[in-house]
Amino acid sequence: MFFSRCFWLAIDFFITILLWGYFLFGYLFLLLLFYIPAYIFSENRAGALQNLNHVHLKIFFAWTRLLIPRTKFAIQKEVREIHSSVVVCNHISYLDPILLISIFQRQRTIVKNTFFQVPIFGWFLRNSGYVPSAPSEMMGPAMINNLESIKEHLAAGGNLFVFPEGTRSRDGKLAPFNKGVFSIARYCNAPLKLIYIKNTNKLFRPGLFLFNARDFIKIQVELISFLEPDYKGNNFSISAVADETRRLYEARIAADENET
Amino acid sequence: MTRQEIEGEILSIFRREFEVENPGMDDNLREAYGFDSIDAIELLLGIEKLLGFDLTQEEKKQAMDIRTINQICDYIERIAQARAAAAGKK
Repeated sequence: MFFSRCFWLAIDFFITILLWGYFLFGYLFLLLLFYIPAYIFSENRAGALQNLNHVHLKIFFAWTRLLIPRTKFAIQKEVREIHSSVVVCNHISYLDPILLISIFQRQRTIVKNTFFQVPIFGWFLRNSGYVPSAPSEMMGPAMINNLESIKEHLAAGGNLFVFPEGTRSRDGKLAPFNKGVFSIARYCNAPLKLIYIKNTNKLFRPGLFLFNARDFIKIQVELISFLEPDYKGNNFSISAVADETRRLYEARIAADENET
Repeated sequence: MTRQEIEGEILSIFRREFEVENPGMDDNLREAYGFDSIDAIELLLGIEKLLGFDLTQEEKKQAMDIRTINQICDYIERIAQARAAAAGKK
């Protein structure tokens, strides 16, 4: 029992080093080979960087599948086909945003401000069109610039994915929603696609910082609903859309709990 | 649209969207009601609906410095007059 636990701990540690090693050094390697030429020569610089990020993280998950064969990924076709939408998602693991980037070729999101202060990575995030959550970026004229840029991105077929809970749920329960995402969707006159991620917190457990290679895990990403609110209608209410979204997620989580 | 009508519409937006009843016309919205940037977007969209046309990016940026309901009303009057003058020139 003890030796088995030590064995799996060593495997988890080794795989974690390999995967995050690829993640970090992949950024540096790709930066030299592809990012700088894309930055200099591409007409749509942000789009080119988003695409490279997408490819990089697709490879990251290909490595994950290879190194952790007990984990299977079931990503709905409908999720892969989403475009020109504000994608709302539950948040249970650090893997969630990178999984979504690996699914959507043209993607933007709102990122914690601290990531923008990391050398190279911060430069990359800013030039890819990701929006810092800092108050200075979400107030005044800067906010209008960001929103207009998101509107153009959605019109060109890209997605904006946002976690309305703001931070990872530690217990799988839904945290209170920030209504900002719904205001952004209204500003951009964009449909809302609600997607549900399941079990990424079992593969990369909150607080442990180790991949879990031992357990048999099925990671699911599914479209649970889509909303096309009549934003210009007289009866439109942000609170009603946020409440409806929350109700749909609660129903989905309850269905999971009933299964188990 | 008269000043009184604009004030009535703005107060209605505040009641409906922000659940603020009878705000003071010169209250600092941020300090008195916790009005944030996301609320400012909602207000801008409400103003567009009230005016019946989309605001330009520059017009939206001007609205970001607004702090009171009186300033909102001034802003709407200014935009409406500028648009009417521009339409008159054509």
